[in-house]
Amino acid sequence: MTQSNPSSKPPSQASDATASRGFWAEAWVRFRRRKLGMTSLCFVGLLAVIAILSPAIAGTKPIVCRYKGSLYFPAMAYFNSRWENPIFYRDKFYKRYPEHLKEKDPDSWAIYPLVFQDPYRRVKEGEWEGQPGNPTGADGVPNRHNWFGTTQAGVDVFAQMVHGTKIALLIGFISTGIAAVIGIIVGALAGYFQGWIDILLSRLIEVVMCIPTLILILALMAIVEDPKIWHIMAVLGATGWTGIARLTRGEFLKHKQAEFVTGARALGTGRVRIMWRHILPNALAPVLVPIAFGIAAAILMESALSFLGFGAPPPNPSWGTTLNAGRTSNLQNWWLILFPGIAIFLTVLAYNLIGEAVQASTDPRLREGTK
Amino acid sequence: MVHYLIRRLMIGAVTLILVTFLVYALIRNMPGTPLTLDMTVADPSVEISPENLKRMERNYGLDKPWYVAYFKWLGNLGRGDLGHSFVEHKPVTTVIATRVWPTLLLSATSLFLVYLLSVPMGLFTTVRSGHLDERALSLTLYMLYSLPSFVAALMLLVLFAVKLEGTAFELPMYDMKGQDYDQLSMFGKVGDVLKHMILPVTCFTYGSLAYFSRFVKSNMEEVIRQDYIRTARAKGVGPVRVIWHHAFRNTMIPFVTLIGLTLPTLLSGSVILEQIFTWPGMGKLFFESLGRRDYPVLMGLTLMFTILTLLGQLLADFLYAVVDPRISYS
Repeated sequence: MTQSNPSSKPPSQASDATASRGFWAEAWVRFRRRKLGMTSLCFVGLLAVIAILSPAIAGTKPIVCRYKGSLYFPAMAYFNSRWENPIFYRDKFYKRYPEHLKEKDPDSWAIYPLVFQDPYRRVKEGEWEGQPGNPTGADGVPNRHNWFGTTQAGVDVFAQMVHGTKIALLIGFISTGIAAVIGIIVGALAGYFQGWIDILLSRLIEVVMCIPTLILILALMAIVEDPKIWHIMAVLGATGWTGIARLTRGEFLKHKQAEFVTGARALGTGRVRIMWRHILPNALAPVLVPIAFGIAAAILMESALSFLGFGAPPPNPSWGTTLNAGRTSNLQNWWLILFPGIAIFLTVLAYNLIGEAVQASTDPRLREGTK
Repeated sequence: MVHYLIRRLMIGAVTLILVTFLVYALIRNMPGTPLTLDMTVADPSVEISPENLKRMERNYGLDKPWYVAYFKWLGNLGRGDLGHSFVEHKPVTTVIATRVWPTLLLSATSLFLVYLLSVPMGLFTTVRSGHLDERALSLTLYMLYSLPSFVAALMLLVLFAVKLEGTAFELPMYDMKGQDYDQLSMFGKVGDVLKHMILPVTCFTYGSLAYFSRFVKSNMEEVIRQDYIRTARAKGVGPVRVIWHHAFRNTMIPFVTLIGLTLPTLLSGSVILEQIFTWPGMGKLFFESLGRRDYPVLMGLTLMFTILTLLGQLLADFLYAVVDPRISYS
C-alpha cells in the first residue's frame, strides 16, 4: 500500500501534498482508531504466527536435535516432507523420535514442540514419558493431554487445528490474490476501453457468475489428477473474481471521465500508464473492500468444500475436514464441531471486520466529522 | 423501453447459451459417467459387460462427443423436452418439480422473516447510531453474519438433537417429516413439518438478517446526511416521519434491487444446509445429481438457476426505473 503514497507520485502532484498526509497515511491513521479493526488485524497476525510456528507448537518431531554429531531440524518436515533429513529414514526411526534417538545415540539431545501430538496420526502409549495413548471414538473428550479432544481415530484435534491454520491463511491470501489480479485486470479493461471489449468482458463476468460455483469448482478440480491444496487455491481464485471485476469496472468508468485523466491523455500518456498509474491508485480504495471480504469468503468456501468432502486431500488437516469428521461421527463428538467451528467463525469475523474498517477509513463519504 | 427490453432479452439469451454450453462441457468432462459411477456404487459385484455398456451409452446418448450431445440437448430444449433423469428414470421437469416445494417452504419462510425483522432493526440502528444498545445489536448481528451457516447448523444440531435429546426442547435431526408422519392427523402433520423446519429456517435466516439490516442501515446513513433531511427537520417534521417518510423512502432503490437479486436464492436452496439437514430440496438434488453424474438433471437445474439469475437482474433494473423516476431506459 505504501508505494502509492504521494511521495512516489510525479512531482507535479506531490508538490502541494508535502504539508498534509497522503491518502493512505491518512487512511491508516483512521484505521488505527478503529478498535475492532485493529483487534482483528492483531488476531490475523496471531494466526500468522501460529501458522509459522505450528511445528514448534504441536508435533512429534524435535524442533532441533543433535544426532550422531550433527544438528537436525526434523520438525521442518511439517512444512514439506522432503525437508526431513533422509538419515532418519535410513536409521529406521518410523517417525518415533523420542525412543529411537535415545536408543541409537545415547549422547543425542532434542528440543520437542510444546505439545507432543501429531496432526496426522494417533500418538500411542509409551511414545512420550508420562503421556498415555490418545483415546479413540467417543472417549476422545477434551482432557489434559488432548486439549481439544481427539478424532474418531485418535488423532489430536489441537494439533490438527494448529497445523490447519497454515491452510486457512494461505487459502485466504493466495486465492484472493489470484482473484484480485484477474478481477482488477478484467474490470480495468472493461471500464477503460468500453465499447465491444466491455460488452465481451461483461458477458464473461456474467457467465462466470451464473455458473453454479460448485459445478465450476468440482469440474476444475476434476481436471487435475491428484488434487493438492494449491489447486483448490487456484480454483477458488479463478472463480471468485467477478465481484472485484464489477467494482473495478464501475470505478474505471467513473474516473475515466475525470479531469486528471483527460489531462494525462493531453500530455500524451500511454493507455497502460493512465490505467496503472493514474486511475488504479484512485480506484484501489473501494476495490480493497471486496478483497478483504473475499478472503473471508475464500476461507469459508474452503471449509465448506472440505466439509462436503471435496477439500484438501486427507493428510492435510484443514478446519473444515475436522468439522466434517464431527458430522460423520453422528454429532456425538461435540468437540470435533465446537473448536474448528469457533476457529472458522473467528477468522471469518476478523477478515470481515478488517474489510469493514478498511471501508470506513478509505471512503471519504463516511469520514467522521462530516455530518 | 421496449427497445431496451428486447436488447436485454437478446443479451440474456446469448449468456444463457454460453452458460449452458460451458456447464455441459464441464460436467461431461468430469471423470466418470452415470453408468460407471452408478453401477459400482450400488453394487460392486455387478460388472457390466462391454457390449451392454456400449448399448446403454447409445441409449443415453453418451457415445457422442459432448459438443454434439450439447446441441442435441439444445434442440430438445427448443421442443420443451429437458430429457429424463438417468437415475430416477423420470422426466427432469418432474424430478425438479418434486424438489421445488421443500426448498420454497424454507426459503420463502426465511425471506419473509428477514424482511419482517431487518427493516425495523436497520431503522433502529440508524436512529440509535452510536448508543450502547445500537452497538450491542450491530455487533451481535455482525457476529451472526460472520458465523458460517454450516457451523451454526452443526452446533444447533449438537445442542437440540443430541444434548437435549429426550427433553421437551428436542428437535429432529434429519429430513422433513417424522417416521410416523402418515399416521398423524392434519394438524399433527403441519406441526411435524413445522418442527422439522425450525432449525433449517433459523440457519437460513440469521445470516441474511444481519446482511439485510446492515444494508438498510448503510443506505439510511447515506440518506440522513442529505440536505433534504436537514430541511425536513428544520421545518419541524417529527423524527418518526423524517425516518420513515423522508429517509427510508429514499433508500428504497437499493432495497428493491436487492429483492430482484434474491429471487434466484428463493429456488436454488442451499447445497450445504440441505445436505446437513437431509432436506429433500433443490440444493440436495443438485449435490446428488453432481455425484451421480445425472447430466439431464444437472442441465435442467443449471438452466433454471441461470434463467432466474438473469431474470432477477432484469427485474432489479426494471424496479429501479419504477421506483426512481430519474432513471429511464428509453
